[in-house]
Amino acid sequence: MQKRLFYKNPPLLLLFIKMMEKLPIKSSDNVWKAGNAKEITFIVTKDCQLACKYCYLVGKNTKERMSWDVAKKTIDYILDKEEEFREESVVWDFIGGEPFLEIELIDKICDYIKIEMFRKNHHWFNSYRFSFATNGINYHDVKVQNFIKKNRSHLSIGITIDGTELLHDMNRIYKNSCKGSYKDVVKNIPLWLSQFPEGATKVTIASDNIPYITESVLHLYSLGIHDVNINCVFENVWKEGDDILLENELIKLADEIIEHKLYEENNCSFFWEELGKPMDRVKDNMNWCGAGKMLSIDAAGNFYPCTRFAQYSLREKKAWIIGNIHDGIDKNKTRPFLTLDRCTQSNAECIDCEVASGCAWCQGENYDAADTPTAYQRATAICKMHKARVRANNYYWNKLYRKLELEGIAKEEAEKHVKMSNHEIC
Amino acid sequence: MIIKKLIGQVTPEEKNEIQTLFERRNGLNELAKILTADNAELYEKLVKDLGETGAKFQGWWDHMAEKYQWEGTANGNWEINFDTCEIYLVTNE
Amino acid sequence: MLQYLIIQLDDTSTSYCHYENGKMERRLMALEDLKAGILFAMKENLMIQFVYPDYVLPQEYKDAINSIDHNDIVSSSCEDMSLREKADVVVFNSWASVEQNGFQDATVCVLRTTKADLLDKYLLLKPVLSTVTRLNVVITDVDTFTGQDFEDYKKVLASLSEEVEKLYIESKSPQLNQLTDRMLLDKMNNCNAGWENITLAPDGKFYVCPAFYLAGDDEDFGLGKAKYSIGDLQNGLDVKNPQLYKLEFAPLCRKCDAYQCKRCVWLNRKTTYEVNTPSHEQCVVAHLERNASRDLLNNIRKHGTFFPQREEIKEITYLDPFDIKEQ
Repeated sequence: MQKRLFYKNPPLLLLFIKMMEKLPIKSSDNVWKAGNAKEITFIVTKDCQLACKYCYLVGKNTKERMSWDVAKKTIDYILDKEEEFREESVVWDFIGGEPFLEIELIDKICDYIKIEMFRKNHHWFNSYRFSFATNGINYHDVKVQNFIKKNRSHLSIGITIDGTELLHDMNRIYKNSCKGSYKDVVKNIPLWLSQFPEGATKVTIASDNIPYITESVLHLYSLGIHDVNINCVFENVWKEGDDILLENELIKLADEIIEHKLYEENNCSFFWEELGKPMDRVKDNMNWCGAGKMLSIDAAGNFYPCTRFAQYSLREKKAWIIGNIHDGIDKNKTRPFLTLDRCTQSNAECIDCEVASGCAWCQGENYDAADTPTAYQRATAICKMHKARVRANNYYWNKLYRKLELEGIAKEEAEKHVKMSNHEIC
Repeated sequence: MIIKKLIGQVTPEEKNEIQTLFERRNGLNELAKILTADNAELYEKLVKDLGETGAKFQGWWDHMAEKYQWEGTANGNWEINFDTCEIYLVTNE
Repeated sequence: MLQYLIIQLDDTSTSYCHYENGKMERRLMALEDLKAGILFAMKENLMIQFVYPDYVLPQEYKDAINSIDHNDIVSSSCEDMSLREKADVVVFNSWASVEQNGFQDATVCVLRTTKADLLDKYLLLKPVLSTVTRLNVVITDVDTFTGQDFEDYKKVLASLSEEVEKLYIESKSPQLNQLTDRMLLDKMNNCNAGWENITLAPDGKFYVCPAFYLAGDDEDFGLGKAKYSIGDLQNGLDVKNPQLYKLEFAPLCRKCDAYQCKRCVWLNRKTTYEVNTPSHEQCVVAHLERNASRDLLNNIRKHGTFFPQREEIKEITYLDPFDIKEQ
C-alpha cells in the first residue's frame, strides 16, 4: 500500500503514516514491480483509428507496421543477452498508434516470448507482464478477447477515456471523419472492468478542456473506473490565465470528491499528498523518468531509450537511436540517460523551487524542446500549471483532513499523535 | 457468502518464495495453452515443470501451515496478500 | 570562466588533439577577422593560442600575431623553420613525421598516434623522454578501443612507467602526459573546451573547439550536425546550454579522480551524443593512465621523498565510473 502523507511537520510524518493507513481514503495502486522491471516497448504500428488533437505522436502513418521478422529478432536479441538484462522482472509493452490494430502480430509475439523464456530457462519466465494502453475501440473484437483469455494472468490493459462524451469527443476524434469516439469506447468499459476491475485510465489535459475536468473525473468514477491518472500535457500549449482556470477547476473537483466521500473508493492522481514540497539537492536528485532504463523498438528494428525518442514522437529533433536488432544496443548511447539526475538538467529556479515535488517532466519533450540536441535541458512549459495544481492540492488535503477530523475519524489518532510528539521532544 | 479471516503473516522472504512459485505456475498454465505434443521436447519439459512447481507450491503451504499453526477448515482455503504478507482463511458459507 | 582563445588560422592548420583535420584546401582567416579576434581576446582578457598551417604566413599576419602575447602551435612539417624552432608546441601527426623530423629537444611535443601504432612503436618513446620538455601522446582513435586493446595499453603504460621512474631516480623530471600529469594534480585538469576555452575559425565564427569547425558540413553524429558555431565576431558569443560544458554539469566526471583526462567534449558528442557524457572507452583509457600514474608515484616514492605534499592516489576497483554510479 502506498503511504499517504500530508502533514507538513516532518517529525510527525512517521506517526501519520500509521494514522493514514486507517483513514478511509483510497490509495493509488502500486505499479507492478515498480523500479525492478525492465520495460520493453514494441511500437507495433504507427497507425491509429483516431487523430486525437493533443497526441504527441506527430508522425503517425499507416506504413510503419512491425514485421514478424523484426519482432522475432528483437526477442532473440533480448533473451539471448540475459546477462545484460538483469532486472528481476519484465514488462513487455505494446504501443502504437493503436496496438490492438496489430493483435495477430501481438499474439504471435507473446506466444514466442513465453516459449522462448521457458525454453531458455530465462529468469523472466517467473515474473513478466504484457502491457497495453489502448483507445478501447476494438477491445470487444474476438481476436482481442481470445488473446486476453489466453494471457489473462499476465495482462495489464488500460483504456484511455477522457471523461464525459463532450470532453472526450473534443479531442479524441476519428482521423477520417472527425467524429468523436466516446460511444465506441464507453460501450467496452463494462467488459474491460469485468476483466480488469482495478483498471485505470489516463486522462490528458490540454488548454481547451480545463473547464471539463470535474464533470469528467466524476463521470469516470460513475463508470466504475476508480483510478484516474490525469496530467497536463508537457508541451508549450498553455495560454495566459490557464493556471487560474486549472486551480479553480481542481478546487471544484476537490469539493465534489470530499462532499460525496468519493475519496473512499476512488483515486485521482491530481491530488497527491507529497506534491508541492521543496526537494533536497542531494537526497531528492533522482531523475523523474525512466528513459534509458526502458527500451523501445520500432518497425525498422531501431532501439530507442523510450518511445518518445522515436521520430514519430518528435516535432523538432532527430530520432535518438541507441542501436538496432542487428548490431545490438550501443551502450555509450544510453550513458547520458543512466547518469541523468534532477539537478543537472534543471535550471536554478527549478532546483530552488519551494513546491518542486511532483513536478513531472518528459525526457523526450525536454529533448524535443531543448535549444541544443540534449536530454539535459528541462522544459518548463508546465511550471505555472504545476503551481496551480499544488495550490488546489493543498486545498484538497487541508479540507479533507479537517473534515475527517471533525467527523471524529482521526481524533483518537490525533490525540495519540500529540502525546507521542511531546514525548519525542522531551 | 465469502468470509475472509486474517489468520497469520509470513516473512517477506517467505512471501517472495510463494510469489515466485505463483507466477511460475501461472506462466506454465498459460504456456500449456499454446504448447502441443508436436513439440515433444518442450512439451515434456513443461509437463515435468508443472509437476515440480505444483509440488513446491503445495509444499510451501504445508510447511508454512505447520510452522505457523494456521487455522483451517474443510470448506475453506488460504490466501496470501502479496503486498502485506498476510494470510487469510477464506470460507464460503 | 573563459581563459583561452584558440585561433585556427587556416582550414589546413594542424590538428593537435583527438580530431582529424582532413582539409587539404587552404582557407586563411581574413586579416580583419584575425585582428578582430585578437581585439576580442584583449578585451576579454584571454590568452591566445594560434594554430598554424604548414605554409609560411604573410608578413602582415605575423605582424598582427606579434601584437599580443600568445602561444604558437605548429606541426613538425611546418615550412616556416623559424616559427617551428620557437613554437611553444610542436605537433607530430604520425610516427613517420617523428622519423622524418625527430622530436625537438627542449620543446613541448605532441605525438598524435593511432592506438595500433602506439602499441607497436611505444618503445621508440623511451629515449625521447629525457630530451623533450614535455611529451603529450594523443590517441586519435580512442573510441575504437576494445577489451584486448585496454590490456595492451595497460602494458604499454607499465613499460613507459619503468623508463620514467628510472629518469626520476636520475634526478630528471620527464613529463609524459599519460603518466606524470595525474601524479601532480589534485583536481580535474580537463580540456574544458566551450567553458574555459573557445576557438575562432577561419570563417570568423566561434566554435567549441577546432573539431566542431572542421567537421564536414553534412557530417552528422546522429542527432544533428556535428559542426555548429557558438557565435561570431560581429555579434559575440552565443553558447546554447553553456552549462553543459562545465565540470559540475557532467554527472560522471564531477566525481571522478582521473584528473588528467581530457574529458574531450567532441569525443563525448560523437560517442554518446551528449557533450557532458564520456564514452566507456574514454573513461577506461583515462583510468588505465590514472592507475599507471598511481603505480609510478608509489614506485618513485620507494626511492625517497617525492612530492610529499601530494596525497597518495587511492586504489580503486573500477575502470569506468559508470559502473559504480549511484543507482
